[in-house]
Amino acid sequence: MRTTVWMMLALFAFGAISGTIYWFVTYEPAGTLLLWSFSLMPLIVAGYLVLHGGVRVGTPADDPEATPDRAAGQELGTFPAASTWPVVLVLGSITVGASLVYGLLLLPVGLGVMALAVLGLMRESRD
Amino acid sequence: MERPVAAQPEPPHRVGPVERLTSTDHKNVGILYCVTAFGFFLVGGALAGLMRVELTEPARQVVSTQAYNTLFTIHGTVMIFLFVAPFGIGLANYLIPLQIGAPDMAFPRLNLTSYWFFAGAGLLILLSGVASASGGAAMGWTAYTPLSELRYSPGVGLDLWILGIVLVAISNVMGGVNILTTVFLMRAPGMTMWRLPIFTWNMVVTAILGLVAFPPAVAAFALLFIDRRLGGHAFDPLGGGDPALYQHLFWFLGHPEVYILILPFFGIITEVIPVFSRKPLFGYLGIVLATIAIGALSMGVWAHHMFTTGVVNNPFFSAMSLLIAVPTGVKFFAWTGTMWRGKIHFTVPMLFALAFLLNFLIGGVTGVMLASAPIDFHMNDSYFVVAHFHYTIMGGSVFAIFAGIYFWFPKMTGVMLRERLGRVVAALLFVGFNLTFWPQFVLGLRGFPRRYVSYPADIGFDTPNLVSTIGYAVLFAGVVVFLADVAVSLWRRVPAGDDPWDANSLEWVTTSPPPEHNFDALPQIRSERPAFDLRHPELAP
Amino acid sequence: MRRAVRAVRVRRRAAPAALAFLGTACSGSFGMPRGATEQGADIFRLWQIFFVTAIPVAGVVYGLIFWSVFRYRRRRSEDPDALGSQFRGNHRLEVVYMGIPILIVIGLFAASAAVEVRVDRVSSDPAVVVNVEAYQWGWRFTYPGQGVTVVSPPSGEFVAGPQMVLPLGQTTRIVLTSNDVIHAFWVPDFLYKHDAIPGRTFAFDIAPTRTGTFYGECAEFCGLNHAYMTFSVRVVQPAEFAMWLEQLRAGQAAA
Repeated sequence: MRTTVWMMLALFAFGAISGTIYWFVTYEPAGTLLLWSFSLMPLIVAGYLVLHGGVRVGTPADDPEATPDRAAGQELGTFPAASTWPVVLVLGSITVGASLVYGLLLLPVGLGVMALAVLGLMRESRD
Repeated sequence: MERPVAAQPEPPHRVGPVERLTSTDHKNVGILYCVTAFGFFLVGGALAGLMRVELTEPARQVVSTQAYNTLFTIHGTVMIFLFVAPFGIGLANYLIPLQIGAPDMAFPRLNLTSYWFFAGAGLLILLSGVASASGGAAMGWTAYTPLSELRYSPGVGLDLWILGIVLVAISNVMGGVNILTTVFLMRAPGMTMWRLPIFTWNMVVTAILGLVAFPPAVAAFALLFIDRRLGGHAFDPLGGGDPALYQHLFWFLGHPEVYILILPFFGIITEVIPVFSRKPLFGYLGIVLATIAIGALSMGVWAHHMFTTGVVNNPFFSAMSLLIAVPTGVKFFAWTGTMWRGKIHFTVPMLFALAFLLNFLIGGVTGVMLASAPIDFHMNDSYFVVAHFHYTIMGGSVFAIFAGIYFWFPKMTGVMLRERLGRVVAALLFVGFNLTFWPQFVLGLRGFPRRYVSYPADIGFDTPNLVSTIGYAVLFAGVVVFLADVAVSLWRRVPAGDDPWDANSLEWVTTSPPPEHNFDALPQIRSERPAFDLRHPELAP
Repeated sequence: MRRAVRAVRVRRRAAPAALAFLGTACSGSFGMPRGATEQGADIFRLWQIFFVTAIPVAGVVYGLIFWSVFRYRRRRSEDPDALGSQFRGNHRLEVVYMGIPILIVIGLFAASAAVEVRVDRVSSDPAVVVNVEAYQWGWRFTYPGQGVTVVSPPSGEFVAGPQMVLPLGQTTRIVLTSNDVIHAFWVPDFLYKHDAIPGRTFAFDIAPTRTGTFYGECAEFCGLNHAYMTFSVRVVQPAEFAMWLEQLRAGQAAA
């Protein structure tokens, strides 16, 4: 995990430094803003990992001497077998997109289908 | 010696169509991605064929100019967003949990959703090519403004295209989130980041690139849509907007996108070469650091696509672009160092990997040439650039895709592909590819611009174009033989076993195909080659 | 006997093509036009530097690949399970193969930056100024202060296009803009192009070093007839240029 945090901090540093150099070399605002905002994403991920990702505690995955039984009984999560809601969500999105091009009458239909799919996914995740 | 068994072979079970389309198992989603993406390869290849026929001779006119402009627009869009990138993601979905010892990806339903967004995007993009009576989207996959503003591109094709790209972006962002969470948080005990297979490492960097690069492009396309349909002027000089701003936003995605198009495939090559050289990878740390460096640097080079605009600081971007050659060179030396003093087996995956090395070097060297702004003043927007990116994306990524297919098809299906037919495919594709694209360097140097439907006779463009079309015919033959290989192999069903290649990474420890939960029991992970360590415990670190 | 004769004939036909290709390498141009302006000559020399640098780089890498494939191939007589030498790296070598490319890249950057400064330089007193307007799908060349304009005929096929006449050995300033979408002004023989962006004008200098007629094209996709926006640049002796200018001025004043 420490590796990951260092990698993310390095990417943050690269974005921030190159963005700063870019500004003073070019005074071009679009590129500067793009480079600086790109640097934020790895910073956020690094922050999360430090606070919640078990960086201090250490996980069996990060222990080079760990044996497979170290993870025995570990709750990894639920892995659903199948779901039809993704298809529905995408059909709704396509309808929303098409409505912007072909006629706003389709927009409530598309939004409705998307809402249905999101609700369906939420309910499925509670099973 | 008795090898510990990671999984018991399961009775084969036929996957029905409904299950195929709704199962969230990462292996199923991976196969959906790969098969769909390959289908788009065939579509994009057919479009390319029409373009090549049109360009064979100056006088030949098989499609209208408007149709030709739509052809190259959709060809580029399909190959980039609907074939190469999704194929990489599909392979990642299939392999990452297996390579890190996890039962699935972190978010299986998000995974399936990202596939369906990709499929929906594909539908919209294909539609955009045929959508309106005046012709479909025909502005080039780069969609520069003001050409892509409403008054110069009035049909709905472009709008559908924008929506398709936005859906692809959503798909990529979902996939990126899934890949990073899975690799960071679901590795097996002992599978430290420094023991990850390089394919997985490369997917980590690819995922990060997707997460940071797609959002600005979505912003650009949203603004373009607002310009076109909602009265905006962000990019329209007549309303006080700036076409150059569009280029900055577009290429901020556009350049990392091409690294998204190559990094997974560097990963495939880095899996294949050590296996068939019977050696560990040379310079593992260097390759990982080089991959991260390539990812980082790729964010800072975007305006090398804008050298001739006069609105950017050329030396800054030239310097950054030249720098990227260094980590790429590190990878090349790691690959050759891996082969050095090895025992090289010329299996079909290895043949494709060798072809990759030969092709990609040319792509890389010509990229260094293009990174020089004054040289680019001549080469920009010419067929030299077209040849360069085909040498990297096709000579590189697509050849690696074929290496990956021949390598992992046995794992995914339990069945081997034909070795002899595979050699024929490799030979036809290698010869055909070079015949098609080497003459295009010549064309570019002589002054043939991109996106031209035709050319005057007898000014030096005739012969290279003819040779290039002949090359396409050879490529076409190669793809046909490949499809025949797949069909024959699935019919003959020569069983592959767990590990037909004596390979290195964790997926080869389990059955072919793996059971639903991937592993019944995990071996102890001692290095980046857990399968090898099981076969050679005396050599394990 | 007949087979041998056929083989010789094929070789004879292939030879001129191969020679022509090799010829470009031997002549040192490596496929690129030599550049008919001072700026173009600079770019051409830079291209030669890059190409000559690429040759040993490609040679080393291809050499390593071919040598490995030949020398370290598994021979049929060997045990199929035999392993290669199990080394994982060589730190000194890795530092070298990172360091040398860095040096090469720094050198290439220095050469490029030097050439760019020269190519971008605009003189304070050009002999000729030509305003170039690009539009869908043609060009207008205006010689301001001379009352001379040259315009494209409507296109849709390959016609001769408008011709810009320039004097040999003197600096011409091109002032470039677009009236609608982005186009690009490219004369391959000058090894130079520049985008024509609506709402902006760009100025660049060219100093022709050779007489002749040079083909010009639009090099930024601009819609339907992008391929048919050809033009030409004819470089003549200064005296002939002055005469041409005078003739056109008289003709256009009369019109």
